[in-house]
Amino acid sequence: MPHDVTMPQLGMAQDAGKIVSWLKSPGDPVSKGDALFEVETDKATMEVEAQASGYLTGVSASEGEDVAVGSVIARISDSADDDGPAPDAPAPAEPDGTSDALPEGKPVTMPQLGMAQDSGLLVSWQKSPGDPVKSDDVLFEVETDKSTMEVEAGSDGYLAATLAQAGEEVPVGHAVAIISADTPDTPVSRSVAVRTTAASEPAQPAAAETATRPETAAPAPPAPQPASGRILASPKLRRLALEQGLDLSRLVEAGHPQPYHVRDLEVLKALPQVSAHPEVTAGATAHHLVAKVSGDALTDFTQWAADAHGLTDADVLLAGLAGAALPAAGTVAVERFGASTSYAMPDTRRLSGVARTDAAPDLILRDLRGTAIRQPHMAADGIPVLTLTQRRKGVRITMECAAGQMTAQGAIQLLTDFAGMVEQPLRHLL
Amino acid sequence: MREITLSQAVNEAIAEEMRRDRTVFLMGEDVAEAGTPFKVLSGLVEEFGTERVIDTPIAEPGFVGLAVGAAMTGARPIVDLMFGDFIYLVMDQLCNQAAKQHYMSGGKLSVPMVLRTNMGATRRSAAQHSQSLQAIVAHIPGLKVAMPSSAYEAKGLMKTAIRDNNPVVIFEDKLMYQDKAPVPEEEFLIPFGEAHIKRDGSDITLIATSSMVQVAEKAADLLSKEGIEAEVIDPRTIVPLDEAALIESVKKTSRAIVIDEGHQSYGVTSEIASRLNEKAFYHLDTPVIRMGAMDVPVPFSPALEDITVPTPDRVAETARKLCSGELIHAA
Amino acid sequence: MAKAKTNTEDYLRMYRQMMRIRTFEDNANQLYLSAKMPGLTHMYSGEEAVAVGICEALTDDDRITSTHRGHGHCVAKGANFKEMFCELLGKEEGYCRGKGGSMHIADQSHGNLGANAIVGGSMGIATGSALRAKLLGQDDVTVCFFGDGATAQGLWYEVMNMAALWTLPVIYACENNGYSEYTKTEEIAAGSITARAEAFGIEAFQVDGQDVLAVNELTQKLVARCRKGDGPFFIELMTYRYHGHHVGDINREYYRSKAEEKDWKDNRDPIIRFRSYLVSEGIATEDEIEAMNTEIEKDASEAVAYAEAAKYPDVSEVDMHIYAD
Repeated sequence: MPHDVTMPQLGMAQDAGKIVSWLKSPGDPVSKGDALFEVETDKATMEVEAQASGYLTGVSASEGEDVAVGSVIARISDSADDDGPAPDAPAPAEPDGTSDALPEGKPVTMPQLGMAQDSGLLVSWQKSPGDPVKSDDVLFEVETDKSTMEVEAGSDGYLAATLAQAGEEVPVGHAVAIISADTPDTPVSRSVAVRTTAASEPAQPAAAETATRPETAAPAPPAPQPASGRILASPKLRRLALEQGLDLSRLVEAGHPQPYHVRDLEVLKALPQVSAHPEVTAGATAHHLVAKVSGDALTDFTQWAADAHGLTDADVLLAGLAGAALPAAGTVAVERFGASTSYAMPDTRRLSGVARTDAAPDLILRDLRGTAIRQPHMAADGIPVLTLTQRRKGVRITMECAAGQMTAQGAIQLLTDFAGMVEQPLRHLL
Repeated sequence: MREITLSQAVNEAIAEEMRRDRTVFLMGEDVAEAGTPFKVLSGLVEEFGTERVIDTPIAEPGFVGLAVGAAMTGARPIVDLMFGDFIYLVMDQLCNQAAKQHYMSGGKLSVPMVLRTNMGATRRSAAQHSQSLQAIVAHIPGLKVAMPSSAYEAKGLMKTAIRDNNPVVIFEDKLMYQDKAPVPEEEFLIPFGEAHIKRDGSDITLIATSSMVQVAEKAADLLSKEGIEAEVIDPRTIVPLDEAALIESVKKTSRAIVIDEGHQSYGVTSEIASRLNEKAFYHLDTPVIRMGAMDVPVPFSPALEDITVPTPDRVAETARKLCSGELIHAA
Repeated sequence: MAKAKTNTEDYLRMYRQMMRIRTFEDNANQLYLSAKMPGLTHMYSGEEAVAVGICEALTDDDRITSTHRGHGHCVAKGANFKEMFCELLGKEEGYCRGKGGSMHIADQSHGNLGANAIVGGSMGIATGSALRAKLLGQDDVTVCFFGDGATAQGLWYEVMNMAALWTLPVIYACENNGYSEYTKTEEIAAGSITARAEAFGIEAFQVDGQDVLAVNELTQKLVARCRKGDGPFFIELMTYRYHGHHVGDINREYYRSKAEEKDWKDNRDPIIRFRSYLVSEGIATEDEIEAMNTEIEKDASEAVAYAEAAKYPDVSEVDMHIYAD
C-alpha cells in the first residue's frame, strides 16, 4: 500500500514548511528512516526521514516551495513506476512552456523542523537538475532563523526536478525536489515564485477592489463632534437626564460649575429646557477660542501697505488677512460700529485682489477695537466670527462658531493662521 | 452569644472537621507541638496525634506538593504556610499543579485541599513577612480564595474550605488572631461567594476585605458623624466573588471605594473596581476608587510602614470627597 | 536477561504492552508529522521496558505519576488506544476530554495521576499519594516516573527527605535516557544519582532499563516491600530515547551521534531482545509474535481512524472543569 509523504509538523503552531531540498529522487528505493528531504521552518532546517520503505513516487512539491503541513507531497510506493495520480499539492503552471508533468520520482519536501516554523530559506543547491545523487549526498542547504543546514538526498537516483531556487522561502511540507530512479529525460527546474504568481489571478484583486469601494464610500460622513464642548457629568447623571429628557447643556448655559453629579439634577430640572437656537445647540456645542497678539506689527504693516502699495483701506487689509486664513477662497464681512462691508478673496489670495462684494459672507470679522468691550463671549452666530478687541498692549482675537460650522481642528487652524498674520502681516506675502 | 478569638475559631473549625472526616489532616512547619508561631493550632496534636497533625521539614514546595498528591488520591489535607509571603515558594505546586489538575484531566481528578496562610502589614516584620498576596493566587483559575474578616468568618469559611472539592487558599490577618467576635457554639458554615453587608448605608459603598473591613467600619463611624452613611460590604471570598451583591449596593449608593491590603496596582481593588465599572457604570455618580497598600515593599520602620496601608482617616477623607462631588483624580 | 520464569501469560502480556507502546508512538509520530496532531509531543520509543516492567508489577489500585514523555506510562498502566488518540487530537472522547493533550494524558481509572509537563512537577504529587496511603491505612504503592533531567530539581530532595522520614510507600523511578532535553546529562549532573537517594537513607538500585524482566523482577520485590512499610525506594533505569527530545528535534548530532542511536536501536532494543528471548525459550513462535504485532497495528490504526473522525468538544466546555462541584 502506498504511503503518503506529507509535509511534517515538527513544532507547535507551525502551518507550513519550506522544502529546502529533496534528498531522494523520484523512483529511488527508500528505506524507512532514510532522510527524504530537508525542510526549513522559522526555527530550523531539518532532514525528514522516510516513514515507510518502498520507492519515492508522485513527488508534487518542489524545492524552495512552502508547503502547508499535512499536505501530501509524495508517496512511497511498492514499485518505482507507480504512476498513480500525483498527490494533491498544487501543480504549478509553467509560464516558460515547460509545463509538462513533473518527472516521476520521490518528492523531497521542505521539512518542518521546529516549533512555529512555517517555511525555510533555500540557500543553495549542491546538485544540479539531472545530476546523479547518492542518498547521503548533500542536495541543498536550508536556512532558518536558527541555523543553516545541509539536506541530504536521502535516496540514490537522479535529481529529476528542483522546484525552488536558491534564495526562495519554501513553506514546510512543500516539495522542493524530485529524485528519480532513472536518468531523467528532461530535468525540470522551477521556482516557487513562478508558482505563486501563476496561482494568483491578477484580475481578481482589482475586481474585489471595485466591488468594495462604493461600500466604503457609502457611509455618511460622521456628524461633527463637539470636541471642546464635552460636559463633565457622571454616568449616573447622564443616564437619569436621558431617561427624564433633560439636556445637560442647559447647566452649562446657566453657568453651573462642572463636573455634574446626581445632586445637580434638581438644578437641571429647574432650568428651561428649550434652546433659543434649536439647530445650534449653543454654548456647550460651540467653539470659543481666544488668541492674544501684539498689535504693533499690524500698525506698521498698515502704514507700509498704504505708503508702498497705495492700499489705504484698512478693512481690505483685515479682510485679506482673515480671508487668507480661510481654508478656501471665500467672502469676509468686516463689521465695525454697526456697519458691515463684505470683501471677496481672490483665488490668488493676494491683498491687491481683495474686492468688495455683495455675496453672503463665510466669515465675519468684527472689529471691536475702540470700544469698551474687552472679552466678548457671544452665542454662536450663523457663520464663524472673529472678533478683535483692544488689549492694553496689542489685540485680542476671539474665534467663535457653532460646532456644526467648523471642526475644532478647523477653528484652531483658522485662528492660529489669522493671529499669526496679524502678528506678522508680512507672512501673508510669502 | 459567646465571644472567641479568631485564633480559637480557626482551631475549632479544623478540630470539628477532623473529627467529622478522618481523611482530613494537617501538615506544615511547626503545626504540632508548637501549634504554629501564632499558636493557632495549639492542642490539635493532643487530640489527633502526630499522624494527622504532621510537622514537616522547612520545605514549602515539598510539603505543598505532598498535599496536592494526597488530595488527588482521597485525603483532605490542610496545609499550613507559616507566612503568606512563602506563597512565592510554592507557586508551581499551587498554580501549575493544584489549580490545574481538575481541568487538565477533563474533570476526572480533583484537589480538595486547603492552604491556610496569612497576610497583613504593620507588624514590623518588613518586606518578606508582611505581604498580602491574595491577588496573586486569585489570578489563577482553579483556586478559590477566602479572606475572613473576623472570628465568625474565620470559622465558617474554614469549615466550608475543608469540605470544598477544590484547592482553597485562606488568608488570615495576622493582627486579628487575638480579636474576639461572637461565634455561635452550634455548627455553622459560611458558603463561598456570599458577601456580607456589615453595615447598611445609602451614600457610599465601602467594599473591604479581611483586615480592611475593620478599617472601613471605623471610617463609616467617622462619616456617620458628618451625616454620610456608608455601606460596608465584605465579599468574604474573592474567588468566587459575590459580584451581584456589590453591584446591588453600588446601584443604591452610586459611589464605591474598594479597600484591600494587597498592593493597589493590578490588585484585588483593581479587579473589583473594574467589574463595577463594567457592570454598574450607569449607576456610578463618582469614579470607583481603589485603596490598596502602597506599591512599595513593606518597610520595616514603623514611621514608614504605617503609611503604606489604608487607614480609617484616609478612607473617610476619600469618601467625603466623593460625596461632596469633588471629582478626585479627574484628568 | 533475568532468569526465566514460568509465567508465560505474564511474559506475553509484557511483550504485548511494549509493542503496544512502540506502535502507539509510531502512530503518534506520524499524526504529528502529518500535522494532524496539534501542540508538542515527546516520544517514549526505546524506553518501553521501563514502563512495562514497572507497571506490570502494579495493580490498578497502585498509583503512578507520569511525565511529559508519558504515552508509554499511560499505555503500560492499562489505557486504551482509542481514548488516548482522541486525547492526542484534542477530541471530546479523549481521556481528559481534549483538555490535557499529549503532555497531560492519563487514564485516571487505572491509577494514573497524570502526565506532568513541568519537569519533576509530579514528585510532590507521587509522594503525597504515598502519604495518603499511609495515613488512611491503604496498601497501595505509588511509582513516581521522572527523567534524569528532573533529578536536578530541588523538589525531589525535599520530597525524598519526607518520604524517608515517614517511610512512605513510594518508588522513585528515574528513567535515565542520558539526555536532559538537548544536553548530555553527564554535563549537568554531578556525582552519582543513586547516591543522592542514598544520602536520605533510601535504598537505591540501578537496573538495565532495556531488560523488561529485570525491571519487572526488581519492581515486584520493591512493591512488596513498600506494602509492608519498607518504602521508599529509588531505581535508576538505564535506558534510551530513540527520538529527539520532542518530535521535530531531528538534527541532533550536536548533542548525540547517529552511531550511538544506531547502537542502542540495533543492539539494545527492549522489544527485539525480549522477542528473541520469548522465541528461544519457546514461549512464543515467530508467527505468533508476528500475529500479535499485526493485531496491535490494526488496533492502533483503527483507533487513529476513530480519533480522526471523532468530534471536538463543544465550545461550551471551555469553562467547564475549572472547579469541581
